[in-house]
Amino acid sequence: MAESSSSGLTFKLHPLVIVNISDHYSRVKSQMHPPVTNTSTPPPPNNGADGAVEAASSSSFSDSASASCPRVFGCVIGVQRGRTVEIFNSFELLYDPATHSLDRAFLEKKQELYKKVFPHFYILGWYSTGTDAQESDMNIHKALMDINESPVYVILNPMINAAQKDLPITIYESEMHVIDGIPQLIFVSSSYTIETVEAERISVDHVAHLKPSDGGSAATQLAAHLTGIHSAIKMLNSRIRVLHHYLLAMQKGDIPCENSLLRQVSSLLRRLPAIESGKFQDDFLMEYNDTLLITYLAVLTNCSSTTNELVDKFNTAYDRHSRRGGRTAYF
Amino acid sequence: MEVEQKQAQVIEHFVKQASSLQGSSLVSLIVQLTSHSSLFVFSEILAVPNVLELQGTGYAVYIDLLRLFAHGTWSDYKSNASLLPPLVPDQITKLKQLTVLSLAEMNRVLSYDQLLEQLDLSNVRELEDFLINDCMYAGIVKGKLDHLRRSFEVQFAAGRDLRPGQLGNLIQTLDDWLDTTNNALLTIEEKIKWADKKCELDAIHKKAVNDRVEEVKKSVNNKLD
Repeated sequence: MAESSSSGLTFKLHPLVIVNISDHYSRVKSQMHPPVTNTSTPPPPNNGADGAVEAASSSSFSDSASASCPRVFGCVIGVQRGRTVEIFNSFELLYDPATHSLDRAFLEKKQELYKKVFPHFYILGWYSTGTDAQESDMNIHKALMDINESPVYVILNPMINAAQKDLPITIYESEMHVIDGIPQLIFVSSSYTIETVEAERISVDHVAHLKPSDGGSAATQLAAHLTGIHSAIKMLNSRIRVLHHYLLAMQKGDIPCENSLLRQVSSLLRRLPAIESGKFQDDFLMEYNDTLLITYLAVLTNCSSTTNELVDKFNTAYDRHSRRGGRTAYF
Repeated sequence: MEVEQKQAQVIEHFVKQASSLQGSSLVSLIVQLTSHSSLFVFSEILAVPNVLELQGTGYAVYIDLLRLFAHGTWSDYKSNASLLPPLVPDQITKLKQLTVLSLAEMNRVLSYDQLLEQLDLSNVRELEDFLINDCMYAGIVKGKLDHLRRSFEVQFAAGRDLRPGQLGNLIQTLDDWLDTTNNALLTIEEKIKWADKKCELDAIHKKAVNDRVEEVKKSVNNKLD
């Protein structure tokens, strides 16, 4: 069912949609407590941009072997300009399991409300959770086709897979393919990019930098900060290695020389060393010295206050002996 | 790299034309493309067989000219001016632009004096005009002009054609860069371990001090009883 799409549309997904969908899923999941039957399962915190949801969904862990994850449904809205489809926002919809369809009246009412606030947004499609697109989804898809001739179907996979590097989101479009002589609509997956507005970027950044909640000792904060830098440099390292391999292969002759790429690499390498000039060294050393000075000052203050306390204790403990005789215990 | 993309089409166009021409018409094509305002790379043209054929004929000077444009600078031209055909003003400007690119290869900070000498310009005003109009607006160089320190800091310079030996240099540079990043990674890992260890030692020390305090308290209490 999932070949890759040939419609040539580019999809841009905003993080708000991802957070909305996972929030909806986690809410429904946690509302299924207390565990009565085997329908309660550990709510899976999912995808990297989601520390906030992770914090919100705390619960007991029960046997997840017989998990049945609730499927949630909703609608995605956004703008379509030419060949670019940009999905900005989403809202939830009621799903009627009896008729396998979405509540139409609710959808239209919500659509009207959103139109008042965001006049440019159109209903671009719908979303649901699960691992893969299913047959019954096609009915919902067809039902939406009278609002938008080619709706998109966004699927969020709530299972966390630690090894997976990408977001567990797939976007499907529908295409008419001829299978066994019958033209049928099937889902084809398409690629997408994540697009952020400034405000979204700030919140995603904030969530990604969640420090350990106990405020931590200085060491844990330092470790967290350094780990961030470490991963950034690691990525840089792997990309340089790719370039290196490529150039080596070109030198050996395995790949035909492509001058344009070589020129770009040479222009890139000319930007190195990136930070080295008299001015930089001056500024850097000045800042370094300032930091060291402040640390030194802080340590000195600490030391003098500890000494003061010690002297006070000493005096309190031994004062009565030294008062007589006029000997002063301290200057 | 927008410069490369802009040039890709021009290069294709000229290569197509070059493969269909011969002799003197090829010569006029070479003159045309060395004056073209957005073409700065010539190695693809040099690879076209018709161009290489010019080597033995009376037009061999034009191959040398093409090679000069691909790898050389304005001072190279001046020292060999007798061997090469005269240049039209457009070509002179282009050669000077290419000279700036070559200089940017060596240093990131180019002093005005050096530039004035290499480009044969007489005053700073002309130099700055040349840099701004012909280099930065053409998109081949990006940088900052420091009038007070009389220098030009290059942040980005488009690549010129590579001489055959330079590929080895590129690989060496990449190698060094890899080593540096690896070292940086190792240093960071060490620092993280050091910070964690310090934290542990601190906790142990605190615990030892607290235990001692408890002991002393107990012994004082016992004495009082």
